[in-house]
Amino acid sequence: MDANLKELMISNSDSIVDSWMDEVGRIKSGNYTASISDELYENTNREFVNVIFTSIQNQGSSKVVEEFSEKMINLGWPLSYITDGLQVFRRVTIEFLLKQADQVDSSHFSNVLTSVDEWIEPLIRQLVNEYSGSWENILSLQRVALQELSAPLIPVMEGITVMPLIGTIDTDRAKLIMENLLEGAIKHNSEVVLIDITGVPVVDTMVAHHIIQAAEAVRLIGSTCILVGIRPEIAQTIINIGIDLSKFPTRSSLKKGFTRALEITGRTVVDLPSKNQGIDEIMNALKGE
Amino acid sequence: MNPRSCVNIHKEWDIVGARQLGREMAKEIGFGTVDQARIATAVSELARNIYLYAKNGQVCFEYIYTNSQKGILMTAVDTGPGIKDISRVMQDGYTTSGGLGAGLPGVKRLMDEFDIESAAGEGTKIKAIKWIR
Amino acid sequence: MRIPILKLHNYLLISIQTEIDDQTAIKFQEDLLAKIHKTGATGVVIDLTSVDIIDSFIAKVLGDVVSMSDLMGARVVLTGIQPAVAMTLIDLGIHLQNVPTALDLEQGLVKLHQELGG
Ligand SMILES: Nc1ncnc2c1ncn2[C@@H]1O[C@H](COP(=O)(O)OP(=O)(O)O)[C@@H](O)[C@H]1O
Ligand SMILES: [Mg+2]
Repeated sequence: MDANLKELMISNSDSIVDSWMDEVGRIKSGNYTASISDELYENTNREFVNVIFTSIQNQGSSKVVEEFSEKMINLGWPLSYITDGLQVFRRVTIEFLLKQADQVDSSHFSNVLTSVDEWIEPLIRQLVNEYSGSWENILSLQRVALQELSAPLIPVMEGITVMPLIGTIDTDRAKLIMENLLEGAIKHNSEVVLIDITGVPVVDTMVAHHIIQAAEAVRLIGSTCILVGIRPEIAQTIINIGIDLSKFPTRSSLKKGFTRALEITGRTVVDLPSKNQGIDEIMNALKGE
Repeated sequence: MNPRSCVNIHKEWDIVGARQLGREMAKEIGFGTVDQARIATAVSELARNIYLYAKNGQVCFEYIYTNSQKGILMTAVDTGPGIKDISRVMQDGYTTSGGLGAGLPGVKRLMDEFDIESAAGEGTKIKAIKWIR
Repeated sequence: MRIPILKLHNYLLISIQTEIDDQTAIKFQEDLLAKIHKTGATGVVIDLTSVDIIDSFIAKVLGDVVSMSDLMGARVVLTGIQPAVAMTLIDLGIHLQNVPTALDLEQGLVKLHQELGG
């Protein structure tokens, strides 16, 4: 019975598709998809209904559905377009199948309903799953991206890590920065952490307070914090509002801070004989001849 | 479902029991490890204050929900001597027991919301909330 | 409960592995000072890697033990303070300003060695 119904539906796909396109076309006006061009809308509808048929024919082939949903998600079509479309499909198909019988008794009626539900159910499940899966993905990706953007930690060499701070620092961000800073310092086993505030536009009492707290926490976990990138106007504010930074090593530039970090970790920078020196020597040698 | 769990405080070891329960419940509702530590530390401070200054009392925890947030509410109640000058005990470093005087002002900073009611001779009730970020 | 104290040359090593309650903390303070007295140790490393909570009471005991040991001629380094613990200490307003720190036990020993010039 079920097989017959399915055959009946497939062989009449044209007329089912027509009524489906009709109804779905009507939904368009005055809802979420109103801004989409008629042409694109119609093409998408056609693709959608093809996916529905293919999936039913292959008893829930997931490959086409997967590709289709991926595309729809990437293009930003709402989930409600999918669910509306499937609802309409269910209604249209049921109507069509019932009309084909000369006599509709209750057993035939329920048979049609169950069969159509069975065809559509796996589709709904898969599409909704793909959609929600992708939202979770996007959300967690964005969260991670935001976190990294807001407080990146760069292990420049063994024992030395740099955290450049960029943008405004509020209390929430300060907490995040501190967490990243401490966890990163431990992960990279950093004896020295350089906090670079070159990119922080305004250092008021509150921002300074957060920075000092971060530096103090870094000291508690056992590494040394050097504050670098102190521009003249920041030095002025810090002194004018009476913030005591004397407990922390500070340097005007990242470069100077890094040199200090090298000292702390027992290293020095050694100039290798440069090309110019080589040339000088040759010139001298030539002169001497 | 919103269970309320309490720990009675009358011996020193109860402080450990209270902070373990606080941490457990914080973890359960989804706080990260750092906030779990903040909550457990706050519990420890309030429980110890009860043990030190009021001898007997109770620390309770419950989950709270609003439209947009969820979090944990802890309540520390005792019927001890109470606190005469609340603004004074909220200052960093104020102590009557040779402690660090960091407990109450610390709890206020560790948590997101903090409320203290106390009357001399009647006891003290402290409520503190931490929201999940 | 008692926290074990190990001796290594002139140094004492302590790795705190348990949840510290008040009695344990106070007992530890006594034990450590006694051991410094007995051994004449010049350096102490207290490793806190496994400690997941330090409230103001424990912090005071730790800070005191550092100052007391100092008085007895033994330099103390605290190591392995966890990020979450460091952040709660900062919130409590406890900075352990005069207490030397290091990332782990090994680096704590290195630090002692450098400072004591031994
Ligand atoms: N539950 C309480 N009942 C009565 N007094 C209290 C209570 N809690 C705190 N206090 C008072 O407030 C002071 C400050 O408390 P706190 O900030 O925890 O610091 P500490 O415990 O180190 O003294 C205490 O020394 C005590 O006098
Ligand atoms: Mg206290």
